[in-house]
Amino acid sequence: MTDFTARRARLEPLLSSARSLADASTERGQAARKRLCSSGLSPEGIDFAFARCLEIAPEEREIEALIGSTATAQVAHVLLSANVFVAAHRAIAIGLAASDTVRVRPSRREPEMAELLLAGAPGAFQIVSELSPHAGDRLWAYGSDETLDEVAVTLPPGVAFHAHGSGFGVGVIDGSVTDTAVSELLPRLAEDIALFDQRGCLSPRVLLVSGGPDAARDVARALSLELEQLETRIPRGRLEPHEAAEITAYRDTASFTGQVFAAGLGFVSAGSDGQWLLPPSGRNLHVLPTRDALRSLSGLRPMITSCAFAGEAALRTSLRRSLPGARLCQFGEMQRPPFDGPVDRRDL
Amino acid sequence: MTRNAHSDALHAAVQRFAAGDRAISFGDLALQIATFQREHSAGFERLLASRGGALTTVETVPGVPSDAFRLARVAVHPESEDAARFATSGTTGSGHGIHAMRRLDTYQALALRFGRSALLSGPSPRRVVALAPRHGEPPTSSLGYMMAMFMVDFEQAAPDSARAPERWLIDERGVNLGELERAGARALSAGEDLLVLATSFALVALLDALEGRTVRVPERTVVMQTGGFKGKSREIAPDELRRSVARAFCISEARVISEYGMTELTSQLYEATLPGAALQAERHGQAGLYFEPAWLRVVPVDPISLDPVAEGEVGIARIIDLGNVDSAIAIQTQDRVRRVDGGIQLLGRAHGAPPRGCSLAVEEFLAALAQ
Repeated sequence: MTDFTARRARLEPLLSSARSLADASTERGQAARKRLCSSGLSPEGIDFAFARCLEIAPEEREIEALIGSTATAQVAHVLLSANVFVAAHRAIAIGLAASDTVRVRPSRREPEMAELLLAGAPGAFQIVSELSPHAGDRLWAYGSDETLDEVAVTLPPGVAFHAHGSGFGVGVIDGSVTDTAVSELLPRLAEDIALFDQRGCLSPRVLLVSGGPDAARDVARALSLELEQLETRIPRGRLEPHEAAEITAYRDTASFTGQVFAAGLGFVSAGSDGQWLLPPSGRNLHVLPTRDALRSLSGLRPMITSCAFAGEAALRTSLRRSLPGARLCQFGEMQRPPFDGPVDRRDL
Repeated sequence: MTRNAHSDALHAAVQRFAAGDRAISFGDLALQIATFQREHSAGFERLLASRGGALTTVETVPGVPSDAFRLARVAVHPESEDAARFATSGTTGSGHGIHAMRRLDTYQALALRFGRSALLSGPSPRRVVALAPRHGEPPTSSLGYMMAMFMVDFEQAAPDSARAPERWLIDERGVNLGELERAGARALSAGEDLLVLATSFALVALLDALEGRTVRVPERTVVMQTGGFKGKSREIAPDELRRSVARAFCISEARVISEYGMTELTSQLYEATLPGAALQAERHGQAGLYFEPAWLRVVPVDPISLDPVAEGEVGIARIIDLGNVDSAIAIQTQDRVRRVDGGIQLLGRAHGAPPRGCSLAVEEFLAALAQ
């Protein structure tokens, strides 16, 4: 068996486990949905995430890319974050591509998905309460920058550390996009926002719209209606008190500085050029008018993990050059990047 | 009435109120100012509209989030009429906001009136120095401006004496320990009290520079400390800092007075522990308890509903400051506070969402923007 074949074979039980979890008609799929209520998402939100984001049938070339871009290790250690429950799947897959010994420490707040995946792929990896990597091992860690900094200082020499920290997604709508096309892409953007109730590092928080404040305001208003409508189908889950407090502060700040449209339980705000505001998670978005999207994004480049784009090819090329670490995609695809490695491709 | 005439009338009313005239109540004056601001501030009008638009009681006045100062101009008048623009310090690396003032006389009157009552303990002559860098012209630091005001007023000195370099004991090399010691020696030989105005991080720098030694100063020396650390020095718990500062100056802890102020405000709060000071005589406060002047009210509110919380419960501070005639009568901060024994306990900043997973926190975002 070649090295690639062996690594590929290690992924199959995990993929199979994910497939059976995604199937809501099975007892296992139903049990998973019950357990994943701990994520805070609504039952519909969990279903939606399973349907849209869990990679159960990646293309073979994606898997090849994932394996090809993953360095091998004696032992692969995986430190998972909470928030995006399906992310455990990809993270563990990367570990399995690296080593036949994979130790996973789930988030204490959301341990369910790793356990569910293991139950469907017994022995494929180990769940541990503490990670203790040694020289020659690799550690993939996902979480806040604060957590990653804490982890980094505890690692012994010789451990390769792959840190995937804080970030957010943006959308860019070029001036060449027709009103009809904008109205067609907004429902897809609403879905990108609603997935995981916007707690992921790929979740869009800001939308740049070519033009003046009126254009931004019109898009903000239309998007708020889309979000409101989507919420009737996929209700927002529960928020932690600090998340709700952040939304209150954001709403009032945005009301003072620009316009705010209620969007179901969330809000869409519209500002003026350069008036950056980062809405908190919970299905909120800030729309900014811009005359130069690249210039507007330049200062935030290291934080942008994902950029949905609609418009002329030339701008797309420029965005790709300007945001080399961000995944460039269409609206509606922000939360399901190819299964070709970590979702976060920034060089941190 | 023109906007400025209206503003001037409100300034006069606030100054009269601060001087003790109660022809109009705090609540009515606050409502008059809020109504004026609604007429001339589109942002405030929008904020108010988002809450239903009613201005019926002081409780209905929404607080302008302090973050708004970083994102927009919070003023009823155009920039051309600014008498001063004070920059907010923000947190480390985060963007600066501006508190624009059309007139400075109300700021001066209010800051001096309450500063005297909290920091002066008798008629004896005094010398005032600041553990702070000398402020520039025009002043951009409201704290530096206030310190300069205190120097002139508390010493009854000439206005330009506040620019004397020996008064400002932080320079590009750090704390000017020699000049502080000279100030102490001069005060001792002249039989004066010494008032040291300082930020918390400057006091930490002083303690570090002293390496355990003490500074020889008059025993009636008072140290006013203000502000957090904002990443500028190692952090020391407030009680420990107070103890260490008292030890360094060989004074009682009651003579170390904390001030709470924000660039977004015109007025300040103080602890009421200084023996002989008017505020102490009135309030008998203990360390860690801050008192409002009559023209400012702190309302602890629920961080989600923004409704006032019950007495003794923790909320975030909505501060109604009558001095903010031309900016925002009410400021919504993220500072956690509790009302106890007629005073306010400060419990630190309500950090927005503690970083969750890979989701980005606002502070990181602001820091990146600033860079």
